Parts: sequence; structure tokens; C-alpha cells
Amino acid sequence: MHKLTIGLAALLLAGATSTAVLAETTVKYMTFSAAPDYISQLDATIKAFEAAHPDIKVTYETAAFADYFTKLQTMIAAGQAPDAFELNYENFVSFANKGALADLGPLLSSDKSFSTSIYNPTALAAFSQAGKQYGLVESFSNVVLFYNKDLFDKAGVAYPTADWTWKDELAAAQKLTDPAAGVWGDFAPIQFWEFYKTIAQNGGSMFNADKTEVTLDSQANVEALQWMVDKVNKYHVTPTDSEMGGQGDGDLFKAGKIAMLRTGIWMFGDFAANAKFNWDIALEPGNTQKAHHFFANGVAVSATSANQQAAYEWLKFLTSSKDAVDIRIKAGWELPAVSDPAYVKGYLDQPMPPSRKVVFEALDSAVTPPVINNWNQLTDIVGKELEAAKLGQKTPQQALTDAAAAVRPIL
Amino acid sequence: MRKPLRPADVLTYLLLAAGAVVMLLPFAWMISTSLKSGEAIFVAPPQLIPARPTFDNYSRIFDGIPMGTFLVNSVLVSVISTTLMVLNCAMAGYAFARIAFPGRQVIFYAYLATLMIPQQVTLVPLFALMTWLGWGNTYQALILPASFGAFGTFLLRQFFMNLPREVEEAAFIDGAGHVRIFFSIGLQLARPALATLAVFAFMASWNSFLWPLIITSSQSMMTLPVGLSFLNGRYATDWNVLMAGAVIGTLPILAVYVFAQRFIIQGLATTGLK
Repeated sequence: MHKLTIGLAALLLAGATSTAVLAETTVKYMTFSAAPDYISQLDATIKAFEAAHPDIKVTYETAAFADYFTKLQTMIAAGQAPDAFELNYENFVSFANKGALADLGPLLSSDKSFSTSIYNPTALAAFSQAGKQYGLVESFSNVVLFYNKDLFDKAGVAYPTADWTWKDELAAAQKLTDPAAGVWGDFAPIQFWEFYKTIAQNGGSMFNADKTEVTLDSQANVEALQWMVDKVNKYHVTPTDSEMGGQGDGDLFKAGKIAMLRTGIWMFGDFAANAKFNWDIALEPGNTQKAHHFFANGVAVSATSANQQAAYEWLKFLTSSKDAVDIRIKAGWELPAVSDPAYVKGYLDQPMPPSRKVVFEALDSAVTPPVINNWNQLTDIVGKELEAAKLGQKTPQQALTDAAAAVRPIL
Repeated sequence: MRKPLRPADVLTYLLLAAGAVVMLLPFAWMISTSLKSGEAIFVAPPQLIPARPTFDNYSRIFDGIPMGTFLVNSVLVSVISTTLMVLNCAMAGYAFARIAFPGRQVIFYAYLATLMIPQQVTLVPLFALMTWLGWGNTYQALILPASFGAFGTFLLRQFFMNLPREVEEAAFIDGAGHVRIFFSIGLQLARPALATLAVFAFMASWNSFLWPLIITSSQSMMTLPVGLSFLNGRYATDWNVLMAGAVIGTLPILAVYVFAQRFIIQGLATTGLK
């Protein structure tokens, strides 16, 4: 009887070891950007990866963006974190601060055949914290100046160039505005995201460099907010909310009612299909310096993953391989943040808008969102004060003084 | 023969009608939006009756996501968990009401106290337990946590306590045991309460979002609310398609309610819930 048991155990052991030798590593990946529209592209990417790495298998879970973080946090809290997962920049910061992410430094430095120079340096740097690379950049988007060429031609105004400042923009906007035709020269929303970018164009910021002090009410910021509000209330080159009559800025641009619009490159497809006039993009004018939004998705390896090496291989493939980049660009599934011109040629070659390279040039002056731990409270407080300034209930000075006072306790 | 309306009745009807309009408007708006094309959703002034109604959204939703799978999963999970919930709660409620055992009161009140624990608190331990059992992304993980509950047990215990004991005592004398009495007499008498509980349990299971979201990992296991959440885009949402999905998701609940309405009213009136 005993002999039988021992024999069985030995057999089982032998079986276990031999399967271990043959077994492929399975990487569990979790993503929000793939569902529901890009599942087949994700499948194709995984297939290409598995062909190149026969010993690694990738399984994935998806959730809609609004629910993704609830699910991910539950899995991490229960000790069931996926090996690798996607994070937008704002959440990346808090996940990294809480120690949920593996430092990719050792993996990157031991990977002699790979160089991170393939990534756009600004975009990659966004996914490091305190000198450690906690994520790879997967994709990015930003905001540029869209302009209606036909309206410029009609008003006899030269197209925007990279040298433009706020002054040039205002002068052009005044010539372009035509109340009789319902045409407005310029539009930028007055809200939190536009604000932190606009103050950067005037050399301002919401916090000092190490985010220990609130600098919301600095002179540079007050000037910048004054400029945003003046375009509406003083120069009348930007419509008020009631003058927009419930229509979105994108809709007005498509209708040929806005000559210059600051909005995201995610509008390319919509405008290319639905704007019946010539349009192009340019870098945004700044006042004392250039500044552009930078929104990004990155991918990270779980700090508790047992398969960090395999997970890293998958993320590297997903973010930087020619196969993955081609699949993405072809499908319009966000824009990979790789710097090699050969990789993004497919993107630059698309016809509208003609100046697509501007999207990459804007990265040179990228500002990341001023993320702090109480991020939601910050956006609420500042957003409310900006609204008051926009409606003329408070002067820009007063609004920012109040905002600074409310933000200090939550920093 | 109908009684003539008194002024007070007119007032009552007017108030009820106003209430009905307020409650029904969101549903009307949902249906209206589901029949509109993309451009027609945000026209000003808003149109309750679409100028050019279209059924495109309904075909788009079946093309875009596996609606059929979601529906089957939802029906399966809701029906099974409701059945189990009613049976379990009835058995537990009967035991707490009729069978004397040591610690009965303490156990009952301890169980009742679990009503105070919000779902969010038990989410992580429950998820950890289910993955430990290897039940991630399975029907049993979707069904079992919704198959018992303190609310239903309490409801049915109160109901059984209010039933006259004489019938059961007569059955005892005739030689029936607790099991026989429970199935032959208890369940029969408790029908209105069972129906009430069934409706509550079905609605809770049908609308349940958080737990199915966490525990399912492939579309083949997702229930309707989780599946529909994928229609919520990060930058933009096709509200008309989402509303078409919502209409489809609301129909079964409506059917259950219409079917069980009689029992619900009866049940609410007789369960002793004050």
C-alpha cells in the first residue's frame, strides 16, 4: 500500500516537473482602451506577440473606462492583481505612489537588445516617478490649434505659425470675427484643463516644482485667466455660453462658425469626415512660452506579479513593436508614443489635417496634468472658481485667491 | 355601477396623474432617445417624439456587442439566484420562526445585523474567496452570493410568525415533521410573501452591476448591465444606442412586475411590514 502511494507521488512529481518545463507563462493583462471597439486589434496584437514569444501566452480582461479602476483596485486589494495593466496618466501617479507598480528599471537595463530611445522621451518620462520607471508609455493625445483655412482666406489673414503669440492670435481673431455672419474668431473653453495649460503658456503653474506649495494665485496666473475671460467679455472674439446656444465647440467649428479652436487631436476623424471646408492645425500660440496638453495611457507591471519578466516582454511589444504600432495606427486606436519616423509614417501620411507633424512637435512643450492625491477635489474647486470668473461673478484675481485658499488645505 | 366622482376624488386623481408623469418621464425619454439618430439627440428645443424615428440603434446594438449572450446570462443568473434566494430565505425564516433551538435569537439578530454592512465592504473578501475557490468568471460566482440574504429571511420569519399555529399543530398531531409541514403548509400559506421577495430578489439580481463587473472577465459571462457599460465611451457615448440597450434591459423587469403585480400588492399589504 505504502509503496503504491510513494509510487503515485513520484509519478505525480515527475508529471509536475515535466509540465513545468514545457509550460508557457501566462500573462494576465487588463485594459480599458481596447473595449469595445478595438478588441479585434488587441487579439491581432496578442497573436503577433505569441508568435514571436512561443513561451508566453497573454490573456486579457477589459472594462469600460468609468468602471475599470473599481475593478482593478478590487483585484489588487484581493491580491489578485493582473500581471500587467493599462493606466491613464492621472491614475498612474496614484498607483505608483501607493506602491502597486513594479520598477521596470532592472528589467530595462538587463534587456540589452532594447533601448527606450524608441519612445518619445517626454511621453516616457511622464511614466516615471522619483527617478524610477514604473510604466511604459502606450499612447498619447494632445490639444492643438485647429483653424478654418477658408475663413482665414476670406478675411485675408495669414495662417497661424509656430511663432505666433497670444497677441497675434487676438489680432487675427478680431479680424476673423464677423457678428453678421455669426462667425467667431477664436475659441478655447474656460475650465480646469484649459486653465493649467494656459497658465503654463504664461510661465505660471498651480504648484511649485515639488508640489508643496500652492501658486494658483500668482500674478502670471491672474494675467492668464484675465486673457481667457477677456476674449469673451472684452474683445468679443469668443462666444459666451448663451451665444453658443447649447452647441458644442466642435459642432460650431464643423459648421464653419469658429475660425480658431483649441481642441484635442481625437477630433481629427470627426472633422475629416464632417467639416466641409479646408482646415489645418498649428502649434498653440503662447504668451511667454509654448505649452501643450499631454494626455497619455501607459502600461505597468504589477508589483506583486510572479511573471514580471514575461509581463514586461508583452508590454514592450504592445507599446513599441512595429506590428503593434501598425495595427494601432491603421485602426485609429490612439496614437503610439514612439519617436521613430518610420513607425509613425502611416499616421503622418493620412490626408487630413495636412500638418499632422504638429502633433509630435507639440510634445516638446508638453505639460502633464498637475496631479495631487486629492485630484478630484482639486479639479472641483478650481473648476468652480473658473466658472465664477467666466460668468463675471468674480474677478480673475478674486477667483484665484479663493481657489488657492481652498486648495491649500487639501495639498 | 360606477360612483360619481367627488371633488376630493378629482384632486386625488390629479395628484396621482402628476406623480405618474414625473415617474414615467425618464422612461419616455429613454424610449424616445433610443429611436433617434445621433444628431437628433441634442437638438434644441428637445423633442419627446422624434421627428424621424429609426430602429437603427436596435440593430446596431446587436451588431456591436453580444447582446444575446448578455441577455441569456442575465436571465439565467437572475432566475436561478431568485429561486434559490426564495427557497433559502423561506427555509431559514421558517426555522427561525417555528423551530426552537439554542441561540436562536442571538443567531437571528446577528444575521439581521449583516444588513448594516454595505456591499462595498464585503466586495474584496468575497472576490478573494471566489478566486480561492477557482470560481472567477463562472456562473456559480454570479449566482451564489445573491442566493441568500438577511432581508428575505427577516421578511419570511415575520410572515411565518404571524401565521396561526393551529394548522401546523394539527399536522404535527397527524404525524407530519418539520420538513413536510414546511413544504406542504408553510410554503403554501406564505405565497404572497414569497412573491414579494421573488420580485425584490429578481430586480436586485437583474440590476446588479458591481459584483458582476468585478467577477466576470470575459464577455461570454457578462450580464446585461455590465455588457451595456461598454457602450459608455471615455470621450463620447452614443446615447441613442445605450438607450436602446436600456430599453431591452428594462423589458424583462416590466414583464415580471406586470405578471406578479397582484402578489406584490397583496404581499406588501400582508407581510406585516409597517
